[in-house]
Amino acid sequence: MWGFYIEQLIHSLPFFLKGLWMTIAVSGLSLLAGTVIGFIWGIVRASRSRFAKPLIGAWVDVIRGTPFLVQIFIIFFLFPEIGIQLEAFPAAVIALTNLAACFICEIVAAGILSVPLGQKEAATSTGLNWFQQLRYVIMPQSMRVVLPPLVGQYVLLIKDSSVVSAIGVSDVTRVGWLTVQRIPQGLLVFGLVAVLYFVICYPLIQLSNRLEKRMSVGYTRGKE
Amino acid sequence: MIEFKDVHKWFGELHVLKGINLKVESAEVLVVCGPSGSGKSTLIRCINRLERIQKGELIIDTMKVHDSKANMTKLRAEIGFVFQQFNLYPHMTALQNVTLAPMKVRKTPKKEAEDQGRYVLEKVGLADKLHQFPAQLSGGQQQRVAIARGLCMRPKIMLFDEPTSALDPEMINEVLEVMRNLAREGMTMIVVTHEMGFAREVSHRVAFMDFGELIEIAPPGEFFAHPKSERTKLFLSKILTH
Repeated sequence: MWGFYIEQLIHSLPFFLKGLWMTIAVSGLSLLAGTVIGFIWGIVRASRSRFAKPLIGAWVDVIRGTPFLVQIFIIFFLFPEIGIQLEAFPAAVIALTNLAACFICEIVAAGILSVPLGQKEAATSTGLNWFQQLRYVIMPQSMRVVLPPLVGQYVLLIKDSSVVSAIGVSDVTRVGWLTVQRIPQGLLVFGLVAVLYFVICYPLIQLSNRLEKRMSVGYTRGKE
Repeated sequence: MIEFKDVHKWFGELHVLKGINLKVESAEVLVVCGPSGSGKSTLIRCINRLERIQKGELIIDTMKVHDSKANMTKLRAEIGFVFQQFNLYPHMTALQNVTLAPMKVRKTPKKEAEDQGRYVLEKVGLADKLHQFPAQLSGGQQQRVAIARGLCMRPKIMLFDEPTSALDPEMINEVLEVMRNLAREGMTMIVVTHEMGFAREVSHRVAFMDFGELIEIAPPGEFFAHPKSERTKLFLSKILTH
């Protein structure tokens, strides 16, 4: 019985790989854009800006306080209301980019604020301007704090991307849904789906662990 | 060279500088002492505008520091600042620490900046530590790198905010020695410190601050032998136990 289903499943493997590719495309694009936007927001959030800082803070709270599934529906159904036809794929990328940016923003802001104030003062006192301080003094130091949770966040976001199947993007989760209608063995089908997610996430988990170890040694070595 | 005219500064409700009037001439070494919380650190932090003054005038050469349109980048490049906690960049070697600002602010070519960095680090006695990271250096060595970092900008003024207070006793002298040499070369210096030996021997004038006011300012001989104010006498009696 299982043998028969496994054989069927092997036949639909190309279908799953296509879904996997879609998951990678949606997550990859969103993580890339979300990282860029998240860093910019994070820098503003750690600054003393009077207007933009609370605005970003409020937006991050809204996004963190609502389910991603609901966010993605809103984006998917909102744009046609204002006259823009949006395919499922770009809607998914926009929603996931926004989610990524919000989480990454918090990580980056925490990293920047972890750098002692004296570093900024030292850089200021030698005449470095705002951007130079950020580029050469603050960011390199905050990356120690930012990188491990950033990579960890990537893993969470890749898994969250499964939600885009709800608006019809043919990612690997949706392929699972479609397949289980032909092969009525949920355990087997979603077992395969789980394995495919794990294959992309596991290297990232390893990377995050390794970064955590490396960064915690850092430059306190030789003196304590 | 540096002139305070009725300078006031508040931290919220707290009035930390209460009408400071002070003139420091070129090549003068001024030591500022006083109990903690007296405003002495704030006084020098205002000079390169790490703190902004709220009332009065603060003029360096011809530049108005109190003016919000002042070109602070240019001004700060002319003023070296040495912190109590060194504040070296931990992710950079000694040489990188001292060459960053010359390369980025003065646009000095890398090769030239490094030659100069080597020269200055040698001058503070760290020729063999060029490629060490701050964590691999002792406190005294770190503070000398910090002084070198200021000097590499070829400043006209050097400000020291309790430069030896965070150091173990055996490292204090190596830092003071570097500062003595600087004074001998004619650098304009304001030094917030409790090193009264340094004040006596090196400074041209000593100032005493208390509760945000400049109580007394005099050449060291006079300051230590015949302090005028009661508060100065009390302070000196407390710290000159040895």
